[in-house]
Amino acid sequence: MPDDIADEKSHEAEFDALAKRAGLTIAQDRRSALLLGFKDLRRMTALMHQPRIAASEPASVYAILSVTRNA
Amino acid sequence: MKALHDYSIAEAGALLRDGSITSMALTEHALARIKTIDPLINSFITVAGESALADAADADASFARGIDRGPMQGIPHALKDIFDTAGIRTTCHSRLRIDNIPQDDSAVAARFRAQGAVLLGKLATHEFALGGPSFDLPFPPARNPWNPDHIPGGSSSGSAAAVAAGLVRMAMGSDTGGSIRGPAAFCGTVGLKPTYGRVSRRGVFPLSYSLDHCGPLAWTVEDSAIAMQVIAGFDPCDPGSVDLPVPDFRSKLNRGVEGLRLGLPRHWFVKADGVSPEVVRALDDAAQTLARLGATVEEIELPNYELYNACGRVIMASEAFAIHENDFQTRPLDYGLYTYLKMTPGAFVTAADFVQALRLRRELALAVNAQLKDFDALITASTLLPAAKFADLDPHRPPNLPVQAMPFNVTGHPAMSIPIGFSASGLPLSMQIVGRAFDEPTVLGIGATFEAARNTHPHRPSFGVAGTA
Repeated sequence: MPDDIADEKSHEAEFDALAKRAGLTIAQDRRSALLLGFKDLRRMTALMHQPRIAASEPASVYAILSVTRNA
Repeated sequence: MKALHDYSIAEAGALLRDGSITSMALTEHALARIKTIDPLINSFITVAGESALADAADADASFARGIDRGPMQGIPHALKDIFDTAGIRTTCHSRLRIDNIPQDDSAVAARFRAQGAVLLGKLATHEFALGGPSFDLPFPPARNPWNPDHIPGGSSSGSAAAVAAGLVRMAMGSDTGGSIRGPAAFCGTVGLKPTYGRVSRRGVFPLSYSLDHCGPLAWTVEDSAIAMQVIAGFDPCDPGSVDLPVPDFRSKLNRGVEGLRLGLPRHWFVKADGVSPEVVRALDDAAQTLARLGATVEEIELPNYELYNACGRVIMASEAFAIHENDFQTRPLDYGLYTYLKMTPGAFVTAADFVQALRLRRELALAVNAQLKDFDALITASTLLPAAKFADLDPHRPPNLPVQAMPFNVTGHPAMSIPIGFSASGLPLSMQIVGRAFDEPTVLGIGATFEAARNTHPHRPSFGVAGTA
């Protein structure tokens, strides 16, 4: 099986598993459009997974002044 | 003599106070324009004519008794239909909330009411401030007053369309990834997203808790400042509200830009896919105008635009899905298709993805802060293109509107879109001005200086009924 077909099937399997875990029933006529959205999300989440400094942690995000101050 | 709708809030306020006009006259004029023009642009979901006339009578009675509650007294305005209004339907442009009549006002609606402002009604939005423009919802999408074949942008679509059409001087919108600044840009109005925490979100249906902002869309920068004076301030009932002194938002409107240093992250829009050459030319011209007025404009580098966009979209998708989780499990087909397709991916974000997005968010905010140590403000694009045609949208897939606004939802900085001219096709072009956290007065001051220098509001869309009532 060519790699791109295997990747596609892997994507679809992951999509189906995550949808089931979220309690969603995906209508068949919406599945292909949602799969495109899923792939776009995967592209974006990949950008999140980079090395970060220790100070970059979620607690700061919930204290607006710590984010907006000129630190 | 100008038509009544062409008087700004500041001008109409002065005339109300010297007795030249009445709130009743302003309100009747606005209702007449809505009746004539709104069928062409669908900006209103609910027109509250009867209560508006009662509000106007109350305002006139107050003026007659020498009572002056503030600059919005007697001034007609409108709210995006995600702001709760006591006794007036608040639908979020969705069949899921089509019969929702709140018992209480949102914090913003309450502040306008306390000032004696006149609420004309509730405005179209993308469904739940996300999915649109759609034709499968209970109300039609708003249209662009400059050319109703074109979209007005969103999600504060009705707010921008109503202001541009001269139906209201100011309308409230919300902004989670550009939903004030995008439609303001496409419709040629001013649109200000204040600093996160500056304006209460209480009673506004959330899209994404940590990215949502409320702010005004107005015809002039001064009117935006006046609206901010009414709505800004600490609210202990909004967990994101910040307890800081409220400045005089008009304090820098006449300061000019002499001596200011403005950073220009030109690489964000010049290197963006699909950017229009006329947008780049207009932005370069705007930067030169500010330089001629005495500002120093320097190109700067910020992290890649896509990092900001992706960070914001991952957070927004996660938070939005969490808010709508139960309805997506039990009645997903009640949402419009665009909303469904944009919101569902939030179910697929893992906990690790979300935490990494929050970590990145801090770094991206600090990168902007670092530039704002050296610069008084930043200027950049609001949109990469003029407004698209409805006919060019794919009905089966939600559009990815070419708006470059998400970075400042991620960072929380105040950001304002202002008109800078028109495309060859006659559609508005715009610029975004970004300030230090809680420094809206500088943003407004730069905008007011540009607005005065370039006379950016020489005319309104006409609809062939420019002289209406």
